[in-house]
Amino acid sequence: MSRDELNASEREELAALDRILAREPVGEQHLELAALVDSVRAGAPRMDPAFAERLDARLAAHRRRGGAAGARVARPGIRRLALAGSGLVAAAVAFTIVISSGVLSGGTTHPPAPARTTPKIPALSILPRKAPGATTTPTGATSAFAGSSVGAVPSTNLSVGRSLSARLVHRDSALTLATSPASMQSVANRIVAATEQRGGVVESSNVAIQGPASHASFSLAVPTGRLGSLIAALSSLASVRALNQNSNDITSSYNAEQARLADNVAARAALLKALATAATATQQASIQKQLNRLAARIAAEQRELDRLLGQGHTATLHVSVVAGASAKHAKASAGPFTTAFHRALHALEEILAIALVVLAIVLPFALTALALWWGATAVRQRARERAMRTA
Amino acid sequence: MTVIAALPTSGPGAGEQFEQLYRSSAADVYAYVASLLRDRTAAEDVTALAFERAFRRRALFDVRRGTPRSWLFAIARNAALDELRKRRRTGALLHEIADPSTELEDLDSELAERRLLVREGLASLEPRDREVILLKFVGRLSNAELARVLRCSESNAGTRLHRAIERLREVCGVTR
Repeated sequence: MSRDELNASEREELAALDRILAREPVGEQHLELAALVDSVRAGAPRMDPAFAERLDARLAAHRRRGGAAGARVARPGIRRLALAGSGLVAAAVAFTIVISSGVLSGGTTHPPAPARTTPKIPALSILPRKAPGATTTPTGATSAFAGSSVGAVPSTNLSVGRSLSARLVHRDSALTLATSPASMQSVANRIVAATEQRGGVVESSNVAIQGPASHASFSLAVPTGRLGSLIAALSSLASVRALNQNSNDITSSYNAEQARLADNVAARAALLKALATAATATQQASIQKQLNRLAARIAAEQRELDRLLGQGHTATLHVSVVAGASAKHAKASAGPFTTAFHRALHALEEILAIALVVLAIVLPFALTALALWWGATAVRQRARERAMRTA
Repeated sequence: MTVIAALPTSGPGAGEQFEQLYRSSAADVYAYVASLLRDRTAAEDVTALAFERAFRRRALFDVRRGTPRSWLFAIARNAALDELRKRRRTGALLHEIADPSTELEDLDSELAERRLLVREGLASLEPRDREVILLKFVGRLSNAELARVLRCSESNAGTRLHRAIERLREVCGVTR
């Protein structure tokens, strides 16, 4: 028998107690218990009639306030309100994170949209170096190089020997598009048009129209600042299968070449001085020989600087177009109900992705709040029980 | 015992049900609270607070978790214990708030003596025993309701009640 279990006579006595309290008749053996109940009840404090009236009035006032009181009742408690508020804040934060991190696109099977990814890569080929005293802004750096003549670098004494105060970055991207064989030619034409519109050139191209095996490839050169815009424009022509973007910092190569050029230009100036003061024809011939070698070296270095600057100024984009059922083509061939169904499915996928992220963020907060609330309640109840023991 | 299934907050009968609960329980709640606190003024404040709190929270009442009466007594108990915590006052005797209406002068001597004995016996009990007797005898709660208020199982509430009655008999020198 456990501690809580009562024997039959004890249970019978408790049942009799309930009958006594309900003013029902009990057997003679329970009259003593009835007397005990009567004594306890008779000795219990009774409400003062004046207080009873005051209490009536207070509660009546509560009820009279009707709307306000009712509103308070219907309104969730402060605790619930706080929980709901923190939940909303967490949801808003989660939503912002989801939107800003591109989960909307990443959560689906579609390839990453270039228009969303390109802003993450600097649009400028020359970026400001965080060196002390460097005052060049990205815009200023771009204009300085874009506006300067490549050939002027070595020929101007001022620019010789001056290293870059900004980074020189070469960008190289590859884009693979998919379209229907029927629209292959049209897409190819529009790729060329979009490139030229942005001041770029088609360095090489290959378009083969062979039914399902149709394909096209392009090697494009475009001003680096317009690469993002071109990728976005091309991505709208067909479904994006893949996008690969690389960047290579060539600042150190450029600076090293620039330093060598400066040394050689200085050496040429010294030789020219020596030539002017040369006493013999042999000396003059020897100096002239050295000057010729130096001139060839300077010319080569100028060409290398031109090439590096061109790399920083011009980005390359390799575009491949393959035949396939592009999303746009599929959408066009599908009926309106199928399209609507796919759109709804896509929306549901995105909602589910958001809901999962929100849940992942909100759940720990909610569980923590619940644990805190539970803990506070337990502590308060224990304190109450302690108060009861000392009552 | 009063049985009210639920406490709707709106619609016809919402106010009447709370009113019915109030009318049937106010005196018992006061008696219970006053016996716990042993202070008439504090008991009045706590009783009023308990009913106001119950009125405000009636939307939160869940019929699956007990009867309105047990819910009300639980609110009153918490309010009384909070008051006790606040005051940290112990040891006062029950007769300190003896009601004039319960004076024993008009009763025959045997009855008066027995009631005095029971009152003093009750006052000498452990607070937990005294409380369970008050909830049962004064509050007229069923064992299930008692369990709900004391946050224990129904069988545990029955055992506690029976032992408390036995102790009361013992201190009062009552024999069966």
